[in-house]
Amino acid sequence: MALVVAVGQANSSVFAQPPKVHYRHRSDLPPGAIGSAQLQRGGPLPGYFQPVEIKAPTGAEISLAAGNRFLDPQPSPTTAGLLVGGVYRFRVSRIPYEPGREVFPTVEIIDRLYPPGGQQKRFPIVVEITQEDLELALAGSFVTRVIYLEEPRAALPVAEEAIGGLNSHDAKPGDNPIEIADTLGRPMAILRLGGWLPINNQANGPVNEDLEPGLGTALPLIRYPSPGAGGTGVEYESEGPCFESEAEVPAATQPRTAGRIPAALPIGAKSQTATASHEAPAPRKLFGWRGR
Amino acid sequence: MNAAHSTYVWPRWWRLALLAAGTLILCSCRAPDICEPAHRSGIGSPTDLLPAGACEDQLPLEAVDCQDVGGPPAGFDSPALPLIMAGDWVPPGVSLPWPADEYLIDGGDHGQPVHVETDWDVIGLDLEDTVAHYDTVCGERIVTPSNIVPIYSPRFGSVRLVTSPLLNDQIVGAAGVELPERIVQQQENQIVTTELQNEQAIGQTGLRQPIDRKGRQWDGGISRAIGLAAFQDAFLPYENIAIIRQGIFEQSEKPYLAEGVTAAVTWTKDQAVHVIIDRQAAAEVVGDQRAQATYSVTPECGSPMLRIVKVASTQFAKPGETVDFTLRFDNVGTSLIGNVTIIDNLTTRLEYVPDSAQASVKAEFFTEPNQGDSLVLRWEITDPLEPGEGGICRFRCRVR
Repeated sequence: MALVVAVGQANSSVFAQPPKVHYRHRSDLPPGAIGSAQLQRGGPLPGYFQPVEIKAPTGAEISLAAGNRFLDPQPSPTTAGLLVGGVYRFRVSRIPYEPGREVFPTVEIIDRLYPPGGQQKRFPIVVEITQEDLELALAGSFVTRVIYLEEPRAALPVAEEAIGGLNSHDAKPGDNPIEIADTLGRPMAILRLGGWLPINNQANGPVNEDLEPGLGTALPLIRYPSPGAGGTGVEYESEGPCFESEAEVPAATQPRTAGRIPAALPIGAKSQTATASHEAPAPRKLFGWRGR
Repeated sequence: MNAAHSTYVWPRWWRLALLAAGTLILCSCRAPDICEPAHRSGIGSPTDLLPAGACEDQLPLEAVDCQDVGGPPAGFDSPALPLIMAGDWVPPGVSLPWPADEYLIDGGDHGQPVHVETDWDVIGLDLEDTVAHYDTVCGERIVTPSNIVPIYSPRFGSVRLVTSPLLNDQIVGAAGVELPERIVQQQENQIVTTELQNEQAIGQTGLRQPIDRKGRQWDGGISRAIGLAAFQDAFLPYENIAIIRQGIFEQSEKPYLAEGVTAAVTWTKDQAVHVIIDRQAAAEVVGDQRAQATYSVTPECGSPMLRIVKVASTQFAKPGETVDFTLRFDNVGTSLIGNVTIIDNLTTRLEYVPDSAQASVKAEFFTEPNQGDSLVLRWEITDPLEPGEGGICRFRCRVR
């Protein structure tokens, strides 16, 4: 009897240990590296414009980049359809308590939602920039936020209204925020703040002198009507690939295969090409397979 | 041909009149009010299963009139059935709703099955569970789960990492600690673990016993050899194991022993069991007769059965929005049931709106905190339910 109990306890202690996960991605990888790896998995990711809602403190304005320039600043929040796997730079201006200063964050979409039909725009990925984030970036720090989809059964029992925004956790220096986010849910996007200038990397081709200094050519996006505009859309003149709806997006713009993400790769990196497979289901977890 | 065809075509005014009448009839249709009296709502209406006066006896904690019970609550959108539990792309072979982390689930019986103890303790009630339990006239206590109601409601969080050049751990120095490579001396000092005959035998003592002996008899010219009645040589090849040789059992020889045992089994005979009773062997009888009658047993307490169905006012909800849930329970059995209790264990992200619980039958309502910092809602139906009777419970939640 004692032997049976001992063996049982030994087995229970073995099975109680969490499965070891090898995380291939870190938050300090170059922008776009994780998104490019996601596109190589194929499935329904390439070519999908994931609605993303970018929130900033009240009073701040957000300017998305389309083509070779920034669009007109919009009050927060602003919503746009961004390509999964792409890195988008935008500008945050009119920062409260920081007159005249601007921050140029980037957001990298690394996964998508699968809402029921007709609900895509109603349930975007929410990327929230707090006042503290902006002040840290202006003070010279580099802020990385990994936005994850919360696991409902492990959700925090607090309402967003009560805490005034999304649930936020701070990682210690040296920790991998992607790993932490993966334990809390499904990582969806990576926000990086720290740039004071709209400098983009030059992996998307030679520098065009006609472009806005350092911006480069932005990826195509779909601009959704701003809630503050009464739902009638925003009037602007676009010189680049900025669309008002999915119907306007030309087929050539939507990559059928996981192609090269120009702004995502570091300088000197080789372009990554993979064939998208629409038959094989994409694994649920992104940064390690734990069989769940 | 045209003339014959034209005789079958109705006049234009007749077709227009028929179209107008049909439109008028279709526009006049409406869903019956659930609290409408049975004699007005007609056969087959939901009130047929409600007890008489169900709409008059409301929950004591909240004075709700008949219209409030029967009519849709505020913000009620008729849920489109079947439930939409997936987006525009679903991997083949997965269970819905997919992906599960984008949906709030309420209803059903997850995890361990719920059962109720004799002292009314409810065991196995997990988050998201919705069950009803009742007693039969035979004293049996039965638990019935509801259906599962998924609500699409993704919520996001973020993990922030702030790095700064002012932090000490960002200073990278060539201290040489990160790559402490040294000459591995151990690779050349490996101890010999296996030694094979490092000393050559210088001699050998023969242990071979004499096997024969020559006897020489001097009393004649005839000589003969007399053999010993003993082993010849040592052991045979299959006997070359320690247990045979020395009587010592060694693990390395276990397979050989097993093989030997198998071989030993094959040597046995008379394996079949013979049964002889009174010196007569059992005779096997093979027939082709079939049962000519089927007997069924009907329990004394009939076939009690409670059906509980759960629906939600919407299938999509953002954080901060409210969702109304409705629980419909009916005694679809053939016997009386009592002590009907409906329990809904709300998931973490559903927050019960105070004083929003309603019931179409006389019931007592209780709440208690659960393990997910939400509430367990509990309706205790006061009166027993006759076959065909039922009712409705309703409450409102705010999505966290």
